[in-house]
Amino acid sequence: MTYERLNSLLITMVVTVAFIWLAIPFTMAVLWSLVDPAEPWTADKLLPPVMSFYRWVDMWENSSLRYALISSYTLAPSAALLGLCLALPTAFALGRFDFPGREFAKLLCLLPLVVPPFITAIFFSALLFQLGLNTWRFGAIVFAHSILFLPYAIRILTVSFETVRQDHIDAARDLGASAWARFRVAYLPALKPGISATLLIVFIQSIEEFAIAFIIGSPDIVTIPTLLYSALGQDFVRPNAAVLSLILVVPNVFLMLILERLMRSANPTLSSGKG
Amino acid sequence: MTLRDWVPIFALLVPGLGLILVLIGSVVYVAVAQSFGYYALLGQSAFSLEFWSDVFDRKLFSRAVRYSIYVGFWSAVLSVALAYPLAIWLRKPFPGSIGLGALLKAPLLVHGLVAAFLYINVISYNGLLNQFMQGIGIWSEPRRLQNDPNAFGVLLLQVWKNMPFALLLLTGAVQSISDDILDASRDLGAGPWARFCKIIAPLSISGMQAAMVIIFIGALADFTFQTTVGPTNRQSMAQLMVSFKSRGDWHSAAVVGVSLMTIALLGSALLAFTSRVIMRGGLR
Amino acid sequence: MAAIGIRGLSKSFDGFQALSEFSLEVNQGEFLTLLGPSGCGKTTLLKIISGFLEPSTGTITIGGEDVTHVPPERRDTALCFQSYALFPHLTVLQNLEFGLKQKRVSRDQREVRISEVAAKLELETQLEKLPNQLSGGQQQRVSLGRALVMRPSVILFDEPLSNLDAKLRDQVRVEISRIQRDYSLTAIYVTHDQSEALAMSDRIVVLNGGKIVQVDTPEDLYSKPRTPFVADFIGGANLISGRVSSQTEKGPIIIETSMGPIKTSHLVKDNVDNVELSWRPERAKIGEGPHCGTIVHRAFQGQFTDLILEQNDIIFRIRTNNDKLRVGEVINFSLSPDDVVVLEVDK
Ligand SMILES: Nc1ncnc2c1ncn2[C@@H]1O[C@H](COP(=O)(O)OP(=O)(O)O)[C@@H](O)[C@H]1O
Ligand SMILES: [Mg+2]
Repeated sequence: MTYERLNSLLITMVVTVAFIWLAIPFTMAVLWSLVDPAEPWTADKLLPPVMSFYRWVDMWENSSLRYALISSYTLAPSAALLGLCLALPTAFALGRFDFPGREFAKLLCLLPLVVPPFITAIFFSALLFQLGLNTWRFGAIVFAHSILFLPYAIRILTVSFETVRQDHIDAARDLGASAWARFRVAYLPALKPGISATLLIVFIQSIEEFAIAFIIGSPDIVTIPTLLYSALGQDFVRPNAAVLSLILVVPNVFLMLILERLMRSANPTLSSGKG
Repeated sequence: MTLRDWVPIFALLVPGLGLILVLIGSVVYVAVAQSFGYYALLGQSAFSLEFWSDVFDRKLFSRAVRYSIYVGFWSAVLSVALAYPLAIWLRKPFPGSIGLGALLKAPLLVHGLVAAFLYINVISYNGLLNQFMQGIGIWSEPRRLQNDPNAFGVLLLQVWKNMPFALLLLTGAVQSISDDILDASRDLGAGPWARFCKIIAPLSISGMQAAMVIIFIGALADFTFQTTVGPTNRQSMAQLMVSFKSRGDWHSAAVVGVSLMTIALLGSALLAFTSRVIMRGGLR
Repeated sequence: MAAIGIRGLSKSFDGFQALSEFSLEVNQGEFLTLLGPSGCGKTTLLKIISGFLEPSTGTITIGGEDVTHVPPERRDTALCFQSYALFPHLTVLQNLEFGLKQKRVSRDQREVRISEVAAKLELETQLEKLPNQLSGGQQQRVSLGRALVMRPSVILFDEPLSNLDAKLRDQVRVEISRIQRDYSLTAIYVTHDQSEALAMSDRIVVLNGGKIVQVDTPEDLYSKPRTPFVADFIGGANLISGRVSSQTEKGPIIIETSMGPIKTSHLVKDNVDNVELSWRPERAKIGEGPHCGTIVHRAFQGQFTDLILEQNDIIFRIRTNNDKLRVGEVINFSLSPDDVVVLEVDK
């Protein structure tokens, strides 16, 4: 039974490391976000001497946080919707037609993932300058985000289109269904989870995206990541950075968990690692 | 296929794949063109190698190249080296293994900037680590750990963020090896090390290569970790590129950008090739 | 000395008893088959013998040496997997070499052994191919060859034919038997297919629910099943219960059943009134006879015809060469007392 003892030893070790790795830093972040400015949290105290939500309220009222939240949470759904619309036709072609070079086309769709994001950001902004569109910041970010995250959207939707069963389509035709009715009965049920997963993943990626928002958006448009970045840089106030970190990370964890569930129910191949 | 079959497929591919190719294509094109003096925002646009020779002569640039390669290489190698044993360990489910996998993959859900903040918080001058080391009496006074010159902070964050990703890819690869194959090799006398070298490694090589390459490219082009926790006396290539750009020197930024892409491409190919040679041939 | 000794072996998985109190000796050069329905613990037993599982209690000896706690890589057994488990990234030659290299057999020796086995299995022309370039039958032979080159003291087969189509199955079956005899290998062969077991084995061990039900030669197992389970599992015998009506010193015993009185020449234990009888469908002689039944179903099978008959709400099966009989006819038949076996009642 030495194998089992070894195994439980390993489990304990990994859990300990993961605890140091995750729980301690996050507890620290939560505590720092609660530090009341009335009395500073000095190194000799285990817990902040005075705890309150002052920082949260203060950040909300007196910083660009509100503005960053608004722009992040309008950018993301716009990018998600645009991405979905752009991805659907390509995914339909890749998932339902067999044409020479299809695998190569699928590979090409991954291109935005290989080019480093700062290169895309900088030379996309150069392009905008050349076209005289450099004041069109919001639209440019939405456009860039939706295309940057198209690989995910196309990939998920292609798999969804592939899972539409030809015999369902044929059965609907056989029973005299119109094109719209065929779509409703054969395509939509198979596509629905894929569509939600696409919207969600582009949404999450867009909320988190830094390079484009930083390069193209600055100085007019502030998103949560760019705000956090500046809070970590020139104006580093630790409790404020803690508040921002938590605002960036907590909703995303929940969204990701929903996404994981969606993907698992949508197409087992994606969650089993073949995706 | 006839032209008539192609037309609808083309039409369908245009909004998705078409836009991808246009955007990425023009981004790369603009970068290359600007690096050779075209598309100047001010002054005249004309072909010139001046920017290449200027940038290449700078010590700043060669230091940035070496530094970025250093970060990219070690991030990829360390992440994969840590993830491999974990993936093999988690191959077969045991009580608690799912929870353990989730715990290990949790950093995937945490934004890099948040990770950087958490890290700064722990290692800062009056942070937890300093207090702890003083508390147990190893250090007599707090040390300055932030922005360490060897970029261990950057590497730590890269591994923190990328090890789970490597684990995700490698678990998939390792789990697709059937029990029967591993049992067969045991039955024929292969011990744990021989099983790893001769069965597991060659059969999971593509997953490993993918992890290596993706992590390498990401860490090579790192900007956020470098500017928040990286050494202050050195710049990464992305950082250098952004600083050229914000000074309005688009051409030099383009030279750095094109070099970065080239290194990403060549480096990935080299890494993928070397890992294949090591895994397939060297350990035989 | 026995090649393999299994004593008092049990195995439980989290409280589920997969094998219990299992004892068995396998002789040198014997072809022993483990036969039983799916889930009865055959694979578990094979994995314990090859070392992949540790028994909960009991010991295993191979060639007189206790190997209960020896890991599989150091056991002198070779397992042929149902899935073949060929290494997909290695050529046929490298697959065959794998075990020999692990055992550090010299290059000359390796070449000698592999060329001998490859010749025997007709694999000489396939050596440079990868497993996925081979047909199912060839893959099966590579897996067999990979085990054979090790010259193990025991070779273990886990349902090796179940992935092959019917025609190949017969061919490979003959091949395995021939090789086992040629090398006089000790073999343990797992199957749930009774015809495979009857055709190949020196002895058959019938398992049910993790326990040994009967160990016998194929002939005895067929003609003298000991329990209703064996009688039914092998050859689908007709079972009927009855009461002993007369037991004399000489002559057949008469059992009163719902089919009428049936004679048997097999002994019934003393003091037993209620017994279970079994008789084989092909042993009924149609024509004159004390028994009768109405044909309710008929299935023509080529060489013979299966008839399902009914009498007094009892259903039984008769196998005959007469293909003229039709549903609805009433036929008479007789049974020889030698062919009616008295079974032990399952506890
Ligand atoms: N690792 C395991 N954990 C729990 N139960 C198992 C395990 N392996 C086998 N069993 C159970 O033991 C019984 C015997 O399995 P097995 O030996 O594979 O049967 P078979 O005779 O079909 O080869 C089955 O009921 C199976 O469900
Ligand atoms: Mg089995």
